[in-house]
Amino acid sequence: MNNRLAHLLVRLYPRSWRERYGAEFEALLHTGRGGLRTSANVAWSALHEHVFPTPGLKIEQSQFRSWCVRAPWAMFGLAPLFLLAGAYFVACFILWSGWEIFLPGTNTPFVPIDGLANFYFQVGRLIYFSAPILIGWAIGLVAGRQRLKALWPAVGWILIALIGGTAQVHASRTAVLSGIGHIRMGFALGPSVHGIPDGLFHALVILSLTVLPYLIWRLQKTHFVSS
Amino acid sequence: MIEDIASICGTRLGPGTLYGAIARLEQQGWIEPLPPKERRRPYRITAEGARVLRAKLTTLRQFTKAGLQRLESL
Repeated sequence: MNNRLAHLLVRLYPRSWRERYGAEFEALLHTGRGGLRTSANVAWSALHEHVFPTPGLKIEQSQFRSWCVRAPWAMFGLAPLFLLAGAYFVACFILWSGWEIFLPGTNTPFVPIDGLANFYFQVGRLIYFSAPILIGWAIGLVAGRQRLKALWPAVGWILIALIGGTAQVHASRTAVLSGIGHIRMGFALGPSVHGIPDGLFHALVILSLTVLPYLIWRLQKTHFVSS
Repeated sequence: MIEDIASICGTRLGPGTLYGAIARLEQQGWIEPLPPKERRRPYRITAEGARVLRAKLTTLRQFTKAGLQRLESL
C-alpha cells in the first residue's frame, strides 16, 4: 500500500491505540495489499476502536474527557439540550420558510403537498423527529467511549426523551398581526391512549431507541470480560 | 499471518480486523510482543494464552465430534 495512504489510515485510530500499535500497523499496511477493500476494512476497524476501545489500553486524558468528568451536568444535561434546541430551531425555520415560499396563501403549513415543496418539508420533519434519537445515541457514544458511569447519561437520555416526546409544533397565520405566519413550540402530554398519555408513550419510545445501543454495548462488554 | 489464516480457513482477514484481534489478545495477556524486527513486531503466545486456546480447542473438538455423530445418525 502507498506510504501516504497507510499513514493517513493509521491516523484514523485513537491516539492511545496509535501510540502502542501505530508503527507496526503502518508497516503491515505498507507491505500488504492496498485497494479499496483494505482501506474500508481499516477505516471500519478504526471507527470500531473509537466506539469500542480495546479494554486495558490507556484512555486519552483529553480536555474533552476532563470536561466529562468535571462537569457531567454540562456534557450530558446542558449540551444535549442546546443541541436539541438548535435542531428544533432549524426544523421550525424550514417549516416557516417552506410555508412562506410554497404555501403563501394558506393558514397552516400542515396541508397535503407534492414535489419539491414536499421534499423541503420532509427535510425539516426528518431533522425534527431524528434529532432526539441522534442526540441520545451521541450521549451513549460519549458515555461508552469515556467509560463513564451511566447516571449522568441517564439524566440526559430522560431529558431528551421527555422533550422529544412531548414537543408539539403549532403554526398560525393569524396569531400575529402582521400575518406573515407564526410558528411556536409547546410541550404537552396530550390525550391518553389506554391510560398512557400520548407524549409519555412517545418519550418511552425515544428513550428505548436511544438507550438500546448503549445497553447492547454494555452487555457485549460484560460478555467479553467474563468469557 | 493473514496468508496463514487464509490457507487454514479460506477467509482472508483485513489488516484492521487482524490488528483489532492482536490488540485484544495482547491486552488479555494471551499473546506477548517480541523485540521488533525492523518496523515489524512479532508476537508469541503466552502460557495463559496456550491454556485458554487448549481449553477452547478441546471444547470445539467435543462439539465437532457430537455434531458429526448426530449428523451420521440422521
